[in-house]
Amino acid sequence: MTDGYLMSRRAVLETLGALGVAAAAGGLVVGAPKTAQAQALGQNESVEDAMKRLFGGKPIKDGAAVIKLDLPLIAENGAVVPVSVNVDSPMTPTSYVKHIYVVADKNRIPVVTRVTLAPEAGRAFMGANIRLGESGDVRAIVEQSDGTLLQVKRDVKVTIGGCGG
Amino acid sequence: MADIGKVRLRVPTSIKPGDVVQVRSLVIHPMERIERDAQGKIVQKNYNYINKVIVTYLGKTVATFDTTQSVAENPFFSFTFKATDPGQLKVQFLDTTGGRYEGTADIKFS
Repeated sequence: MTDGYLMSRRAVLETLGALGVAAAAGGLVVGAPKTAQAQALGQNESVEDAMKRLFGGKPIKDGAAVIKLDLPLIAENGAVVPVSVNVDSPMTPTSYVKHIYVVADKNRIPVVTRVTLAPEAGRAFMGANIRLGESGDVRAIVEQSDGTLLQVKRDVKVTIGGCGG
Repeated sequence: MADIGKVRLRVPTSIKPGDVVQVRSLVIHPMERIERDAQGKIVQKNYNYINKVIVTYLGKTVATFDTTQSVAENPFFSFTFKATDPGQLKVQFLDTTGGRYEGTADIKFS
């Protein structure tokens, strides 16, 4: 009986301790940007760092045969650049496109968006309006359900940068 | 900026069962950019921008967009889904201040 009591008391104390640590960590985070979870994807970093963080050392193959990246050749206004990615791939529960990444090399936040698709999407397609800070490459990287990475790149000229600062 | 969070969805008017349908969505949102002070240092604050867009059809998630500030103001997204049954298509936009904006469209076959 006493033993059980002690055990539960210890358990309670441990839980409290863990909570305290969590609270302290939470307190520390307040100084940094509050949106730690949001920042996980979009950080101020170079494109090399971003690629390393997202894909580790995994080899990225050339996907020019299957990926169609639609972008204007010259973006007059970098604040709004329409981009669309269309992947010629089956969308079945066993083989489908899991993620489409859009990465702008010259942006301060290179990772523009990551799209997670389900086989129910029917077609591996995404479109969005993005910002481009200056002329440079824009990549579309496709991760298939078996982990294969494919990439295409396109150079875009930007007349007026859209990222300010 | 009273229009913040207004969502517009554009779905084709005639859909047949089994079609892969392309939908365009737009939300009115400022998508604040990172500010820098005179020294070029980033001003630390909670920037208000959309960081997640969730598309659900018949209660199932079809596509999720994780977005960063590199997405343009009043973001526009398009995506596809396979229309199998009549039902509701819902697009939710979540921003970093906890804002949640959603738009729905009823998928009907004609």
